[in-house]
Amino acid sequence: MTGSNEYKLNQGPEDSISAVKFSPNAAQFLLVSSWDCTVRLFDVGANTMRMKYQHSAPVLDCAFYDPTHSWSGGLDAQLKTHDLNTDQDTIVGAHDAPIRCVEYCPEVNVMVTGSWDRSVRLWDPRTPCNAGTFTQPEKVYTLSVAGDRLIVGTAGRRVLVWDLRNMGYVQQRRESSLKYQTRCIRAFPNKQGYVLSSIEGRVAVEYLDPSQEFQKKKYAFKCHRLKEEGIEQVYPVNAISFHSIHNTFATGGSDGFVNIWDPFNKKRLCQFHRYPTSIASLAFNNDGTMLAIAASYMHEKGDINHPEDAIFIRQVTDAETKPKST
Amino acid sequence: MAEGGDVEWELSKENIQPLRRGRDISALHQALSQQQDGLSSAIIQQRQAFESELRMYDGDDPLDVWDQYIKWTEQTFPQGGKESNLTTLLERAVTRFTEGNKYHEDPRYVELWIKFAENCPEPLDTYRYMQAQGIGVTQASLYIAWSEEHENQGNCRKADLVYQEGFKKCAEPHDKLLQFHKALQARVSRQVMMIVENDNSDDEPKQLERNSLAELKRRGKKKAIAPINRVGSSIRSISGGLQSIGAPVLGNASNSRLVVFDENRTQIAGPSEPTLESWAAPPTSRAKENEQNPEKWSDVKIPQKSKFGHAVMAPPPPKPTFQPFVEESDQLPTMTPCKINPAVNTVLSARKPCREETPLKRLQEHHQQQKEAESGKLQEQSMYCKELLLSGAAEFCIEELRAERYFKKVTQEDGGQKDAASASP
Repeated sequence: MTGSNEYKLNQGPEDSISAVKFSPNAAQFLLVSSWDCTVRLFDVGANTMRMKYQHSAPVLDCAFYDPTHSWSGGLDAQLKTHDLNTDQDTIVGAHDAPIRCVEYCPEVNVMVTGSWDRSVRLWDPRTPCNAGTFTQPEKVYTLSVAGDRLIVGTAGRRVLVWDLRNMGYVQQRRESSLKYQTRCIRAFPNKQGYVLSSIEGRVAVEYLDPSQEFQKKKYAFKCHRLKEEGIEQVYPVNAISFHSIHNTFATGGSDGFVNIWDPFNKKRLCQFHRYPTSIASLAFNNDGTMLAIAASYMHEKGDINHPEDAIFIRQVTDAETKPKST
Repeated sequence: MAEGGDVEWELSKENIQPLRRGRDISALHQALSQQQDGLSSAIIQQRQAFESELRMYDGDDPLDVWDQYIKWTEQTFPQGGKESNLTTLLERAVTRFTEGNKYHEDPRYVELWIKFAENCPEPLDTYRYMQAQGIGVTQASLYIAWSEEHENQGNCRKADLVYQEGFKKCAEPHDKLLQFHKALQARVSRQVMMIVENDNSDDEPKQLERNSLAELKRRGKKKAIAPINRVGSSIRSISGGLQSIGAPVLGNASNSRLVVFDENRTQIAGPSEPTLESWAAPPTSRAKENEQNPEKWSDVKIPQKSKFGHAVMAPPPPKPTFQPFVEESDQLPTMTPCKINPAVNTVLSARKPCREETPLKRLQEHHQQQKEAESGKLQEQSMYCKELLLSGAAEFCIEELRAERYFKKVTQEDGGQKDAASASP
């Protein structure tokens, strides 16, 4: 099933995978958080697990601060940072409810966490300590950093745009242009906008600039739907990852497919083969030559029998990720 | 502590919505003292617990959780309002159990329906719907609530008919139904008596009194609009029997007779009969706010408020009697200039305003969809546990649901051990 341009990582997590993130500088290091309460660091090139550390409960997200420090949080509501060289844990702080997302903003040099306690908290990664708590209108489901701006997706289909340099007020309050629950938001590497995916097979491309001219360009499209016996089966779109150079993006759905899209020409560039189960998370590496694909059942249809959780590393070519110039 | 609560209660009496079953005073104190600034985390946590219980429950009485949740909401949010989410909650609860007849005659379920109906813009439709669906047709409470609604709209004949229907269906408890029916009859007869009495007595215009805290009748069928005048016929008839005949709450207006001004009569009836007292001082005006000091009349412009709050200098010119010439190619400006800076929000919510719908309509639609799904006409199928995520008043995401299962499993595995450990750190 796996061709020469793709292989499965050894020593993967023992339960569902919640997130995969590549190192910002080194192309071969991959951080993986999982429901088995661990965060693992893989050397993708050598296909080995370099190390792992534990949380007291399932981990929902992780992020690199720099090549040697990872941050992670999950159901135990604790935010941990781990020194990957010395293998040392530090508990930085906590939320009042499980932490759903962890991101790093290099422009402002701050870590950002979002939680089901309806707040976003900022953390100074050098000290490390809490640098502010910002109440959101609803439970935080996803967040993404675009330059010095923070895009937060919450329950109730709300989207809030904050300015990380001035967190005194919300810069924009938006409503998701999709009808159903927000699953994932990721910002364009060019910082102009973001892509939002919903639980019912749809993806929206939105722009941050509120002027009419830019807002006219936004659009949404259907994807991750399969037709079976005349009935259209609609799957959640769980994961989005941007190619850092070409500004194209990959989406992964519970149908087990990964698609790569060209947002400028509104075209699908390619679709990979069907993976054994839901795509829970996706990550391009820093130079856009590899895509990590977490194929892992997310219990979206309850606790039923499911294929083994696995992480696939796929070499991607320009033909698959570069917008076709016409 | 108790004193603080008392103050709270004194200050916010008018913000407390009345409940049929009354309120628990301690819960009220707590709710009022907690709601200083937004939702406290305790309330959020408790709500979350209810929400997860709704989804995790696997006993044979799922209505119980809903019932508790709704009662808790009523007690915790005495002001009602959007924050309480009560309307959504009632709608979901009622919708949830329409299929299958398990709860159709359950007093708790019927009670939820009645609360739901009271939150609808048109309760009567909802009661009729209940009857058509066979929900609560043998429950006295349905007929009582239904009849009261008719009575509030001023239709006593229909109110009586509803009771007759109740008796025909042998609604239980029979005593209660009988008692309320008698009370209705008593109120109707008292009202008739009063009208007769008013007719007999001379039509001396009475000073209508503004009755504080009196419930108001609603005007209009579709949308309930409380009248501006809080006197006379706009006040709902008071159901208690304590009012004295001398002070009619239903004033003259209920006779719908116009009092025609009669020159001769007023002079005879003479409140203006000259009194011999000398005027030491001018009488104090009773409506002080409207008093105007005399001033120069010429060159005075009366400031007028337009709808938008700007001062308008002149009245709009009358419509021209001729048709102004418009060149054919001349197009009307397609866009009115936007007052609000487009950078602010409105542009950013893309969804069109959805058509007007009532909770009842939504309910019927849901019913329709269910039928279609059963007959296999449905074109789309969601590949996740949609019902579980959306079943409560608040939404859950896939991970939250799984987290709840995880926490439940952990507490079951550890039993009391972990609890004891975490309680005494």
